[in-house]
Amino acid sequence: MSWETVIGLEVHVQLSTNTKLFSGASTTFGAEPNTNVDLIDLGLPGVLPVANREAFHKAIRFGLATNAKINQVSMFDRKNYFYPDLPKGYQITQMEKPIVGKGSIMINVDGVEKLINITRAHLEEDAGKSIHDLFDGETGVDLNRAGTPLLEIVSEPEIASAKEAVAYFKAIHQLVTFLDICDGNMAQGSMRCDVNVSIKKEADDVLGTRAEIKNINSFKFIERAINFEVTRQIKILEKGKTVVQETRLYDSVNNETRSMRSKEAANDYRYFPEPDLLPVVISDKELEDIRNTLPELPKQKEIRFIAEHKLEESEAKILASSKAMANLFEDATSKTKDSNLIAKWLVGDVSALLNKDNISIEESKLSSDNFATLIERISDKTISGKIAKSVLEDIWDSGKDVDDIIKDKGLVQIQDESILENVAKKIIENNPDQVEAYKGGKEKLFGFFVGQVMKETQGKANPQSVNEILKKLLA
Amino acid sequence: MLKAKEISNKELIQETFDLIESNSHLNAFVTLNKENALNKAKAIDNKASDLSLSGIPIAQKDLFVTKNLRTTCGSNMLSNFIPPYSATVIENLENAGCISVGKTNMDEFAMGSSNETSFYGNVQNPWGENLVPGGSSGGSAAAVAAGIVPAATGTDTGGSIRQPASLCGITGIKPTYGRISRWGMIAFASSLDQAGPMARTAEDCAIMMNEMCSHDLKDTTSLNKEIPDFTKNLNTPIKGLKIGIVKEFDLSTLDNEVVKIFEESKKHYESLGVEFVEVSLPNINLSVPTYYVVAPAECSSNLSRFDGVKFGKRCKNPKDLEDLYIRSRSEGFGEEVKRRILIGSYVLSAGFYDAYYKKAQQVRRLIKNDFDNAFSKVDLIMTPTTRGSAFEAGSMNDPIQMYLEDLFTVPANLAGLPGISIPSGYVDNKPLGVQLIGNSLQESQLLNVAHCFQTSSDWHLRTPSSEIR
Amino acid sequence: MDKETVATISYLSRLAFDKDNEDKITKDLENIIKFVDQLESIDTSNIDPLTSPLEQTAKTRVDEVTAKNRKEKFLQNAPDANEDYFLVPRVVE
Repeated sequence: MSWETVIGLEVHVQLSTNTKLFSGASTTFGAEPNTNVDLIDLGLPGVLPVANREAFHKAIRFGLATNAKINQVSMFDRKNYFYPDLPKGYQITQMEKPIVGKGSIMINVDGVEKLINITRAHLEEDAGKSIHDLFDGETGVDLNRAGTPLLEIVSEPEIASAKEAVAYFKAIHQLVTFLDICDGNMAQGSMRCDVNVSIKKEADDVLGTRAEIKNINSFKFIERAINFEVTRQIKILEKGKTVVQETRLYDSVNNETRSMRSKEAANDYRYFPEPDLLPVVISDKELEDIRNTLPELPKQKEIRFIAEHKLEESEAKILASSKAMANLFEDATSKTKDSNLIAKWLVGDVSALLNKDNISIEESKLSSDNFATLIERISDKTISGKIAKSVLEDIWDSGKDVDDIIKDKGLVQIQDESILENVAKKIIENNPDQVEAYKGGKEKLFGFFVGQVMKETQGKANPQSVNEILKKLLA
Repeated sequence: MLKAKEISNKELIQETFDLIESNSHLNAFVTLNKENALNKAKAIDNKASDLSLSGIPIAQKDLFVTKNLRTTCGSNMLSNFIPPYSATVIENLENAGCISVGKTNMDEFAMGSSNETSFYGNVQNPWGENLVPGGSSGGSAAAVAAGIVPAATGTDTGGSIRQPASLCGITGIKPTYGRISRWGMIAFASSLDQAGPMARTAEDCAIMMNEMCSHDLKDTTSLNKEIPDFTKNLNTPIKGLKIGIVKEFDLSTLDNEVVKIFEESKKHYESLGVEFVEVSLPNINLSVPTYYVVAPAECSSNLSRFDGVKFGKRCKNPKDLEDLYIRSRSEGFGEEVKRRILIGSYVLSAGFYDAYYKKAQQVRRLIKNDFDNAFSKVDLIMTPTTRGSAFEAGSMNDPIQMYLEDLFTVPANLAGLPGISIPSGYVDNKPLGVQLIGNSLQESQLLNVAHCFQTSSDWHLRTPSSEIR
Repeated sequence: MDKETVATISYLSRLAFDKDNEDKITKDLENIIKFVDQLESIDTSNIDPLTSPLEQTAKTRVDEVTAKNRKEKFLQNAPDANEDYFLVPRVVE
């Protein structure tokens, strides 16, 4: 029998506002516990929430970028449950009238594009953090994160595999960072997702019973958790048993999902309209202003790069794929003219290093200034391409300044032709057999002479000059 | 109020505390602010202040949070709660020069109509030894009625200012929803709660209103509308004013004496040139059941923050988190509060939401529409404030019977309209009020009509001591 | 309204009642629900629920930090806390 996997994702994107959704407390990451907490975040008796308009603007940017319907009148609801890091005993969220309605996003799996529909995206407040393993017999509660604005993006159950799920999550990640509405920092929990997985027979129209895997915060874990869950559910179904609808937790250490407290299932959130907050109305003009100031998105960047810099489509695609990469490219083009050289380095060596270490540009030690200088030194012939490669590797490890590396290691390219000529003459003298063979018609040996000169000059010779000199001497 | 300065501010405040002491049997106060109050009075004596209410002693309902002064909301849950901030109402009054002498007793979390649900004991109505003062602002009403303070703050979710005002023989107004900031008011039912003043006269209520109202950016449900000088229009003739009498309220079920007082005050208004017309509010008799869905629903959620984690009471030696929650809340809340939380959870729970909560909010709109229609025909609506005068403590044991006490007061809360209770007569030496309900934002008119009534009658001037002592 | 329903909503509300009170609470709730069942009598189809009597729209806030650190005071007010965290009995996930 053939099984079909159906996946829906709820992605929680932490919006990069200065303050919380309902209070004037800072959202800075990494502050001392319980210092970014206002009266409102603590849920003290008598306090009232006041919505942060910027959070709405950021949510709208996402909506516009996914061709979604923007609900210009949106409302908040309360979701009631008890947990120590939920100070009010309810979470303020948008159930009935979310700010962003139906939209869609394109994903790309191994070169094949697929449009995934987005059901809705709504604003809600984050909970605080419970720390279970720091104190003997007690759980510590830190409310710094409580009240941070989240945009919860809910997909239609249209994702068919773990790979597609990762591609979808990556597409959202790319979009929210381009839109500058989220810092995209997964390690700090700026993006997390809940994954709904169900299995059905291929021929069935009705979806199978789903399990929800909560709170996954890395591309790798999404893939692993889904793969585990799919296998688990198929095993159950093949035994003729039924999957239980429940909430599960992904354990990355043992690479498995397991059932959370069964009481979760008994929860009834008793949603109702938040009486402390009136409907928030976005005016036509406000919406237009946001539309007109929407940052350039990957596809638009790609088209512009091709037009402005005469790049290959494949190059432009890679350069436009992440905001940091595009910034690196544009910063460098503003300093040196040779955009093809810049593109070549980014698509080639820089991308290779990123892949090797499996990191993003933000996580690397390569700054945009340093990269632009590196390109400048190649085009002004201070260093050769070969030397540049080793300089880049040096930067990658140490983060040092390009000019310092060149100076400290004496890597400046030898431009003086008389020096190069002397070296070439010496090489020709020391290799009479090769000279004879070359002159006898073995032209491939020319490369040998170039190589020897480069070796002798530790790569610092300008390859073009070497070519010319050797041609003259061997004629 | 204190206009003629014959004694020093400090003497006045000291006298207030002496009165609190000599009236301690009323149990009107939960917490006193003696040292601060006396210091503030002394400071004014040393350096004269031209603030409008400089040196006036005020009693604050213990539902308003007061910075560094214990705020219990009538509950064991908050028996040790020292707030780190003050309510906007408290700040407004204190900035106007008022001296908060203490926090008044109240039904627990404002849930009750007799002040019998307070963790800190019953409040005695100054008009009779075993009589309830009404609720939930029972302590404030008793403190004003006994002449301890010239005015007090109250809050009104379903009648909690007007009902005790009626039962204690004082004037109390619940303004339009949103007129006074809810910041720092411990929430019972957010869409119904509204603060207001309680005082002997409508004029004093107007003076208080001038200071209590403000545009508050911290409360987004506070109104953006201009705040008038509420004292300015007092004494405007009311000749030609049209007052509606609600056709659907069957007064024949009430005590003869109550009906008599209502009819007599009608005559009094007629003598001032007012015309009475019958208006129909077809859904008005569904107000109490509507209220007892909406208010508990909001309360069940609002009171979830009292969980023993960040502030307030925590049970002793919780064995795990669930035990902590359940015992802290079960020990911290009284019976009536628990009852309402349960009703609220029930009407919001899956499968019942549409039949109860949503239904009630729909009926609520019908009730509001009824008022809108009525106010296209009349300026004000007049009803009794309460079904009767003060009853004996312990005499009302059936919750529903108690809920029906709110029959005449809850409609104004559901529709967000202003309402005032005016002392209008006595039944067996017990005071009784009559209620006027105004259209949205028409507090000035309500206060003026009440003031005109009071300048031509003396019900509001009678005090328990002049009557019974 | 039966005891099982009362048990469910009691749990949702994190409240508990001893045996003596259970019967009384069940009876009270039953009466109250019966009382509010009057609402059934009226046709409300196509009527918009009124969730706030103030039919206006929300005022919002600009995105500027206004709060100050009050950690010490907040933790002091807590029933159980150490110098950094509010504390509750260990939660097992």
